[in-house]
Amino acid sequence: MKKAILKSIFKVIGKIFGIFALVYGALFAVFFFDLDGKFLYYVWEPMMVKRYDKMERTDMTQTPYGAKEPVS
Amino acid sequence: MKLFGKEVNKDTLKDTDWKKVASDFWYGKPHEERRLGDLYIGNTGLYKHREWRGVKDTMYYFNNIWLYNYGHMITDIMKYGNMVDFIKGTMRYRWMGQTYLTVMHWFDRGLEGLRGEALAASAWHYRGMVSETIRQFQRMFAADKKLHGGKENELWKNSIAHNETVSGVIFFPFRDQMDDVALEMIPYFVTCHVNNHTVLNYIDAAQSIGLPADPCPMCQAEYGIFVLDDYPDYAPTMITSNEACDGSVATSVLQDWFLNRPLYAMPQPMRYDDPLVQKHCAEEIEGAWKFIEDQYGYKFNWEKYKELAEKHNKLTEFEYEKWDVAANTPYYPINGVAQALYRIYYSQDGWRPIWEEVDGHVKKILDRCVGKKIETFPKTRHRAIAWSCAPLYYSNWCTWAYNCWGINTVINMDSLMFDQLLRTDTYEHALEDLTWYNEKAPMRAMAVGGHEHIFQLWQYMERFNCDMVIMYDQLACKGMQGIHGMFEDEFRARDIHAIWVPHALPDKRVVPRAEIRKIISDYMTTVMHEEPLDPTLVDFDDSESW
Repeated sequence: MKKAILKSIFKVIGKIFGIFALVYGALFAVFFFDLDGKFLYYVWEPMMVKRYDKMERTDMTQTPYGAKEPVS
Repeated sequence: MKLFGKEVNKDTLKDTDWKKVASDFWYGKPHEERRLGDLYIGNTGLYKHREWRGVKDTMYYFNNIWLYNYGHMITDIMKYGNMVDFIKGTMRYRWMGQTYLTVMHWFDRGLEGLRGEALAASAWHYRGMVSETIRQFQRMFAADKKLHGGKENELWKNSIAHNETVSGVIFFPFRDQMDDVALEMIPYFVTCHVNNHTVLNYIDAAQSIGLPADPCPMCQAEYGIFVLDDYPDYAPTMITSNEACDGSVATSVLQDWFLNRPLYAMPQPMRYDDPLVQKHCAEEIEGAWKFIEDQYGYKFNWEKYKELAEKHNKLTEFEYEKWDVAANTPYYPINGVAQALYRIYYSQDGWRPIWEEVDGHVKKILDRCVGKKIETFPKTRHRAIAWSCAPLYYSNWCTWAYNCWGINTVINMDSLMFDQLLRTDTYEHALEDLTWYNEKAPMRAMAVGGHEHIFQLWQYMERFNCDMVIMYDQLACKGMQGIHGMFEDEFRARDIHAIWVPHALPDKRVVPRAEIRKIISDYMTTVMHEEPLDPTLVDFDDSESW
């Protein structure tokens, strides 16, 4: 009984360790092959540039002159 | 057969020195064999793969820099605000969504080739700047009327905006009641270093409404953000400055128009060490405090000022310790770009908890380097001082210069600003020192503050034991252009090796980074008759990189 419990505990620990190792390895691959940089450069930045270029903006040159009270 | 894209045959395998391969894997390649230029993909600045620095330093970079900073960026976003505001800000502002997510490449460029203590200490400086940047934009977003349906929330009512050239130290007496956030520091200044693509939109926007193209592009970008309606509306008032020049005055005038709300202009005198201007400058600072009291109803808190000024003095005292090690030993573990950007950022911003935390980490490394006599930049051939204002789009040129030519930029002009401790024994002393602090702001002191300050270069060269000057030549700076010929004469008369580096501050289109490298490399080959340490770095294309 005890042996079976210990075995299942080790199994769970092993699985957690395995998942951790897998995630750690995957992150190392992202780091080493600069996959974060490549994603941001080729996918994210062009997408966001399109968004900002299309964005409707207030025409700031229409701001009236001297609309506020003077500050001493 | 092919291995990692390279043709490998039996003879190659037979001739391979496996002991050397194992040593390169474990310790990293010697400086002269690194071939860092081969790692780039075309003109993008991206890496085929990040540099292998040996097991210890690669794992340090992966765990303690890359993972640590990505992780802490998320916790900082939560700590200084919330994820919803962060996403809203990212979707709304070009300077946010296009720029700051690429921040780890900013680390990569600045820390290229570094090893051991130099890698660790320089990376801590970057960590401090990233954390403070997140704190500032999260504060802006949390208070921003544009992100909250035009609502003036409590944070908006308790914030004050100011020019990035007005020091945060001015606001110490009110920091228990409100928060001061520099308006252009995050949307403009820091972006140029992290991703220089963004700022070009603002420069072009300024010119698109008929504003002239020949003033300093820093000022153009600062008001271009307003032309494009890309400024966060996070405060009911603003304090502006004339620092560094007439271009900044124009920025203030345009901001006054576009913001259309109470604004206090706090000029800094040009001939700042004239005793007659001290009283005037002190009155300007007191005027700013009165403006805050009148507009917000807050009271000047002397105890708060004392507390923060004393904390700020600790940062300055540690800076003096750093200068001492940099000047007199080869054990200084901070590279040129980390030194310059960190110093200008924290001394402009004023004390914040993150600066104290970073200094604590760096102090341990500095003490270790001095105690164990660790030569942090062992390939140093020349100890350089960089003078005048640096190209923002290529502040990491000094990382390149060390890797390629062994030019170690020990100190720079921007680091030497704000050289002033703040007394807290009496109000009069405090105001006097604050006046001096305000007058020793970036560019004011040694760029447009009179030739006697600009020529302090000679004393600093001697103090920091430098044998070379990297002389920045900001093509749109009328102040520094005016004194160009005097420098030429002095360099000749003093027989100093000086390399002029032309640039246009944030605008990489005027003098591309490749041209800056070419000018330095030409000098190193034709005048110094030296060979590059890493020949792959002499000529490469990074025209489209961040």
